[in-house]
Amino acid sequence: MDELRDESGAPRPVAAALLELIDQLGEDELRARQDLAEVDIRTMGITFTVYSDGQNIDRAWPFDIIPRVIDGQEWDHISLGLQQRLVALNRFIDDLYNDQQIIADGVFPADLLEASVNFRPECRGIRPKFGAWAHISGSDLVRDATGQMYVLEDNLRVPSGVSYVIENRGVTKRAFAELFEQQRIRPIDGYTDALNQLLTSLAPDGCDDPQLAVLTPGIFNSAYFEHSFLAERMGAELVEGADLVVPDDDCVYMKTISGLERVDVIYRRIDDLFLDPEAFREDSMLGVPGLMRAWRAGNVSLANAPGAGVADDKVVYAWVPDIIRYYLDEEPMVPNVPTYRTMYDDERKYVIDNIGDLVVKPANESGGYGILIGNRASKQELADAVEAINADPRNWVAQPILSLSTVPTLVEEGIEPRHVDLRPFVLTGEYSYVTPGGLTRVALPKGSLVVNSSQGGGSKDTWIVDGRYYQSQYQQFDDHGRSQTQADGQRQSQQQGTA
Amino acid sequence: MPVLLARTADRLFWGARYVERAEDTARIVRAYNDLVVDFPSQELLRWEPLLALHGSDGDIDIRPNDPAGEKAVVAKLLADADNPASIASAVASARENLRTTREVMPREAWQSINQLSQYVSATAGAAVERQLRDRFLLRVIEISRRLDGILESTMTRSSAYHVLRVGRLIERADMTTRVLGVAAAGILALEEAEHGELVHDEVRWMNVLRSVSALQMYQRAVRGPIKGDQVVEFLLFYGSFPRSVQGCFEELRVVVQQLPHEGEVLAALDRAQSVLESVGPHGDEIELLDRAMDRVQMAIAELAATMHELYVSSAL
Repeated sequence: MDELRDESGAPRPVAAALLELIDQLGEDELRARQDLAEVDIRTMGITFTVYSDGQNIDRAWPFDIIPRVIDGQEWDHISLGLQQRLVALNRFIDDLYNDQQIIADGVFPADLLEASVNFRPECRGIRPKFGAWAHISGSDLVRDATGQMYVLEDNLRVPSGVSYVIENRGVTKRAFAELFEQQRIRPIDGYTDALNQLLTSLAPDGCDDPQLAVLTPGIFNSAYFEHSFLAERMGAELVEGADLVVPDDDCVYMKTISGLERVDVIYRRIDDLFLDPEAFREDSMLGVPGLMRAWRAGNVSLANAPGAGVADDKVVYAWVPDIIRYYLDEEPMVPNVPTYRTMYDDERKYVIDNIGDLVVKPANESGGYGILIGNRASKQELADAVEAINADPRNWVAQPILSLSTVPTLVEEGIEPRHVDLRPFVLTGEYSYVTPGGLTRVALPKGSLVVNSSQGGGSKDTWIVDGRYYQSQYQQFDDHGRSQTQADGQRQSQQQGTA
Repeated sequence: MPVLLARTADRLFWGARYVERAEDTARIVRAYNDLVVDFPSQELLRWEPLLALHGSDGDIDIRPNDPAGEKAVVAKLLADADNPASIASAVASARENLRTTREVMPREAWQSINQLSQYVSATAGAAVERQLRDRFLLRVIEISRRLDGILESTMTRSSAYHVLRVGRLIERADMTTRVLGVAAAGILALEEAEHGELVHDEVRWMNVLRSVSALQMYQRAVRGPIKGDQVVEFLLFYGSFPRSVQGCFEELRVVVQQLPHEGEVLAALDRAQSVLESVGPHGDEIELLDRAMDRVQMAIAELAATMHELYVSSAL
């Protein structure tokens, strides 16, 4: 299914203005604009770091100029569904570290928790503000052949990509300035301000003007650009572990040119196990000794809270619909992809019998590593996967092979459909916030389903376009260009938009 | 006022120094380039003293007027990634340092650094050729000046801003003493070669002034023909000229008072100032000038070390 063109190849209404413009421009002009966009990306220093041949290389961010367009009404529904999902997941995490009511009620199996590698006993009994643990999350969405959007996975630890969402928009604004004049494309710039508000709201009680810091593993981390970007946009300090110290008073300080200065809220982009060598891995050079001590004492807030990852492994994923029903007494608004849990004998048998038609995923890997796509694997690979599942059934899940939707993409061969996914970012604290759109990742080789930028994927800007606006635009565009009626229509919807 | 991390201060200081080093080296090579054109081929013109700028002389064997030798020296100063004092290396180091301080600088400033780095890495090799050289050097100077303009006009006068200024000024003062030192060494070498009889003295001193973009300002400040001792006096002590050592010290004095530990830093600056004042105008006594410049460079290095100790080492 292509998101911008219907089965006959005609533009879908939501993408009509965009595709019309692309037709008018022609491929050469489009390529010229793509080249300019790439120059912008290099000049603005939008990079990501890949580890290759023993070296960390700072590479220009891969970007495709043709945006993906999603209808505003559909998006409103998805956005509510994501808020619902994250509220429920946060209730779930808070419950696991405190009363464990969901286990007592028999909805979530106790042995799953016992086997979880992401459950942190160090976090038991802690009650973060607003009951929020996974403050910043990124859920990966995919659309199948019927057009249905599914949540494919949740990332509740240190999801990255939001800086590229914002930068991609900056680039397309210049590349397709004419469309931004004509359509109502929802802006995404507000994210960093919403994040700032969220982090500020997490400050320990009695702290009026909190000092925020973004904690990065350092310049060799693949997402260093993003850490720096977020600190810059929020006016927060960008700190590394060695910049912080926790003395005996259990407070966190940063080392400044005028001595130690207190830090109140830390947006940490270091994984749990590296966060504090006193509490977790002793050999971690990235973390801050005593950070957990300060957090438990309530002297610093950490986002995301340590231990939040307990709810984002691919096994817990299979219970999320039940979790939503249990805590909120609502039906999930955005469905899960049907998921088989190999820890159950019957589901494992189904997976092994049908492995050629399934995607098999390890429960705790990110970045697309270790995924086996049944219908593309060799006999040997399938046999190896069966063996791995039998050896450690809890570590695997399987899902039907979805026929991922495509979006037209400028590739060497011309403008061709390529598979995409979508990662919106969700903020959860006292209030919820969802980015309008998110990071669209695109698999550039023909037929490929691997969208990760570390494995050759690209990215696209994602436009949430508001309905009535583009429809009137489309009708007018075809026949007469801009007309009086159309201008009236625009004013109206603008007024409604800001009311 | 926002705080400044000790580690960030260190990176800002070195980032600013490296940008200034690239810019100053570009000014020096530009001036030399000009000089080459003025001298017909029979004249003695020596490029290799330029290598002494950052103490990297000795490993290129060239003879005067050997075009291959000239190119080798220029390549070493412009494009050689293995020479830590080349423009290419200085710009790369500036970018690596300032890449980690983006959150404290205006976004536009980072973009100029990034642009400078892309321009230099794409062009430095080709700019060894004489036709492209001047354009390249001018562009390096321009982007560096633009960066300063962006900071000057859009950056809060925070500690981060002041530390960037300190880095610029320390490097600039240091480079001015090096230009004088190199000039002294060059003139010494010529005196040896020409048995004490120096031709075109004024042209050489004019070149010294050009190397720090001071010729025009010198002529407006000092009347009469160009004389070595007056040039030295101007570049060391003429405080109203912003690239003189005295001018850099005076601005430093204002800037460091905006930073913590100002008492200790001012004391270190006073020490550097008294070393500077102990230098006589040795325009006629070249050997003494060369040694005096070494002393001033050491005093500047001590000032930088004191600041590093106060702001960075003691905090980390």
